[in-house]
Amino acid sequence: MVPAIEVEALVKTFNRGRKNAVHALQGISFSVWPGEVVGLLGPNGAGKTTTIKCILGLISPTGGTTRVYGFDTRTHRREVVRRTSAVLEGSRNIYWRMSALENLDFFTGLYGMSLSESRPYSEKLLELFRLRDRKHVPVQELSAGMRQKVAVACALATRTPVVFLDEPTLGLDVETSYELRRSLKQLAEEENRTIILSSHDMHVVQDVCQRVIIMNQGRIVVDDTVDNLLSLFRTRAYRFVLSDGLREDLERQLRARFPEVVVRRDLQTVVEVVVSRPEEIYLLIDLFREAGLLIESITQQEPDLEEAFLRLVRGEVAC
Amino acid sequence: MLKELFCVMRAVFRQQIIMMRRYMFNTMSSMVTLYIVFMLLFFGVRAVGGAAVTTATLEGMVVGYALWMLSIMGYSDLAWGLIQEAQMGTLEKLYLSPLGFRWICGFRQLTGLIITLVMVTVLVGIIMLTTGVYLRLDLVSVLPLLLLGVLPAYGFGFMSAGLALIYKRIQSAFQILQFVFVGFMVAPASWPISAYLPLNMGNRLLNQVMVQGRRLWELDPSDIGTLVLVAAAYCGLGLALFGRMETVARDRGLLGHY
Ligand SMILES: Nc1ncnc2c1ncn2[C@@H]1O[C@H](COP(=O)(O)OP(=O)(O)OP(=O)(O)O)[C@@H](O)[C@H]1O
Ligand SMILES: [Mg+2]
Repeated sequence: MVPAIEVEALVKTFNRGRKNAVHALQGISFSVWPGEVVGLLGPNGAGKTTTIKCILGLISPTGGTTRVYGFDTRTHRREVVRRTSAVLEGSRNIYWRMSALENLDFFTGLYGMSLSESRPYSEKLLELFRLRDRKHVPVQELSAGMRQKVAVACALATRTPVVFLDEPTLGLDVETSYELRRSLKQLAEEENRTIILSSHDMHVVQDVCQRVIIMNQGRIVVDDTVDNLLSLFRTRAYRFVLSDGLREDLERQLRARFPEVVVRRDLQTVVEVVVSRPEEIYLLIDLFREAGLLIESITQQEPDLEEAFLRLVRGEVAC
Repeated sequence: MLKELFCVMRAVFRQQIIMMRRYMFNTMSSMVTLYIVFMLLFFGVRAVGGAAVTTATLEGMVVGYALWMLSIMGYSDLAWGLIQEAQMGTLEKLYLSPLGFRWICGFRQLTGLIITLVMVTVLVGIIMLTTGVYLRLDLVSVLPLLLLGVLPAYGFGFMSAGLALIYKRIQSAFQILQFVFVGFMVAPASWPISAYLPLNMGNRLLNQVMVQGRRLWELDPSDIGTLVLVAAAYCGLGLALFGRMETVARDRGLLGHY
């Protein structure tokens, strides 16, 4: 089977050879198989947008190759474009003076689809995104969330096997973001398309994607399934509630072993710890016993990807 | 392939018409401006020239003006459009069309030309009514000359669009170019270089047709040859420069920036 997307040793340096050179991508490689829904996660400036644009041929890389269904972007841009569509950063890449339907007609037309080929599916998308009653209204008169949905619909309407969504939920309120995610999930399941979704919002990735690629400063930090990533953190984050106060010297001892320990003294004493090896939990319990403390409860904290992500990016945890 | 071409053309055509309707105020006001400018010129020439001004001179003026209007739209519309799309963020989406961005630009130019031709026809009609100068419109001779004559301006259109991809803020250059075009157009035939300037030969031949009442096939074949050659050369040059600028824009990641 040919991967839907292959990225090999991709390097991009902006303003090469000048003082203000930016090493946006420093040699990244990954493959995405047909039907996968992959999240591209990373802080500002990590290189997510640059990666996507290199694959699409909107930016020429300094080195390395990108392929879509085996077609090299550099030599077969047309074949690549035929198989891909994209929403690029925000809701701005549709025509605000035109209505949702006019936008859909235009962008499907650009892919060589006649109205009779495109309309049924366009209507389906309008229905799915709950835009049907407003399909004739100029986009500028719609809310930001609706505009964003129109932009996503325009990318999906071409029915390309690969879809890139760069920050599709940026600036949306919780509810609209949730609704958009649900629609995306539904489409991904129904149509078996390959979707690459970039976001700052871990919840979006956690919710929609099966696999996540975390980038930082032009490099890939992690490339794993969302489940693996979560379980990695699930097994190691613990929260202890203790009966008595924690003495200063014990806290110092704890801190020496677990630099990141969080101690809270409210009505009860709460100790939160991430252990890097499973057997360290015994050590922790021994320390409490020797200090004569009773453990009222131990809970394994439910990790979210956000925390995992931040730790990985800060380099606190090696994968 | 043919179907794809047709679908893209239809999409672009429809979009341009929709946009023109949505920007109707702009369209109307630019027509009114063009009309006022012409009337000022017309009365100016009359006032200065007095009796020496014949109908033929005025006819020449109308033809020259029509050619000039067509060329302004030809060279500035595309670049203007691209600047606006870079601002709106839709430019990159146009690059994501399998047929290729240049075809879309080509179709846009074609649509623009058709719309402009309609506008010019209406305007010339109004000018004829209000000035009382009636042109003998030999469409069979005029139309091909007008199209060939205006093609170099479209070549310039691709050049300035290419520059717009990279420098974005080149509006002021347009304004200067408008007047440079007038210079090109009226450069005297006695200078050997004039024939190779954009618009020049087109303007000359159009004058022969409209003012002296010659037909297309009565014109000097070598002049027509020059006209075709000049048109092809400027268009080729424009497209080449445009392609070069696209490569630079891709390298610097400028397609999505404003
Ligand atoms: N056209 C450009 N010219 C110069 N530098 C650029 C250009 N485009 C991006 N960069 C730089 O490349 C780096 C990566 O940018 P990129 O847009 O890919 O990040 P990102 O992960 O998409 O960030 P964000 O989450 O903010 O969208 C950044 O340091 C950015 O400043
Ligand atoms: Mg980005």
